[in-house]
Amino acid sequence: MAFNILVADDSATMRVVIKKTVEMAGVPVGEFFEAAHGKEAMEILERNWIDVVLSDINMPVMGGMELLSEVKKNDDFRHIPVVFITTESSEARMEEARQQGAAGYIKKPFQPETIKTILYDVLEKAFQHKIEAPPQPAADADDDDGMDF
Amino acid sequence: MDEQFRQMIYDTFSEVFETMFFTFLEPIDELSGAVALSADDDYIQANISYHGPESGRFALYLPQRLARNITMNFLGVEAGEVGEAQILDTAKETANMAVGSLLGRVDPGGEAKLHIPEAYLLDDFSAQELLEQPGALLFNTDFGALWVVFKN
Repeated sequence: MAFNILVADDSATMRVVIKKTVEMAGVPVGEFFEAAHGKEAMEILERNWIDVVLSDINMPVMGGMELLSEVKKNDDFRHIPVVFITTESSEARMEEARQQGAAGYIKKPFQPETIKTILYDVLEKAFQHKIEAPPQPAADADDDDGMDF
Repeated sequence: MDEQFRQMIYDTFSEVFETMFFTFLEPIDELSGAVALSADDDYIQANISYHGPESGRFALYLPQRLARNITMNFLGVEAGEVGEAQILDTAKETANMAVGSLLGRVDPGGEAKLHIPEAYLLDDFSAQELLEQPGALLFNTDFGALWVVFKN
């Protein structure tokens, strides 16, 4: 099974970095979609099948928390896991995201291994099966810069 | 600026540069030789502000060769593959990550709101003017002197 992944971040450079990191993590990807803010992400969700959203919080036009709210109140999208990749690293913001239904939270700056660990956990929970990744060199996950809920 | 806050800035900026750009920052406490360190470089300025119970504004002054190098490291590409738009975008993201990370420490309640960063090429950079700012900090890198100025 390959997953369609939507990355929402107002930094085009960060979108490229996240895409490369996900590819390096060996996540089976069908198609990558990119949005510069939450409103654009909603438009992409309307037109495409998306399996997981990786979103920044601090974006112009529509931020990540509002995007999460829009996703969770829409019957067609509410099943889609939303993982925040963000500089907003306070405990209060993480708790707010969890309560609103975020599937995970990754703090910038991040280690590639953290994205891998959390994305695999989130996808396995959402799709109820083990995801097989290609063998990779061993590396220690740094759980300090992110968590899945 | 109190010493604890200054140390937090050093720590968070160093963490961002090392983790995301594989670039090491050396804090320089003695600013007297700083003008000479910056004399030969063209600079990019990246600004970001936050407001809440505490408000403030950070300005980062990155030598263009440092900004180009961290962009290459960030994207994993060669020098010829990096354009001005990507360099400015990386400068903005640097400000966003460093100050966002700092806010996570100084504002654990998450009450402060981080604004959208901006970045642009500077026509006339003056290290001498920065020296006169009370919130100025300086880092040395392999690609020139990085200035960080905090205002509240």
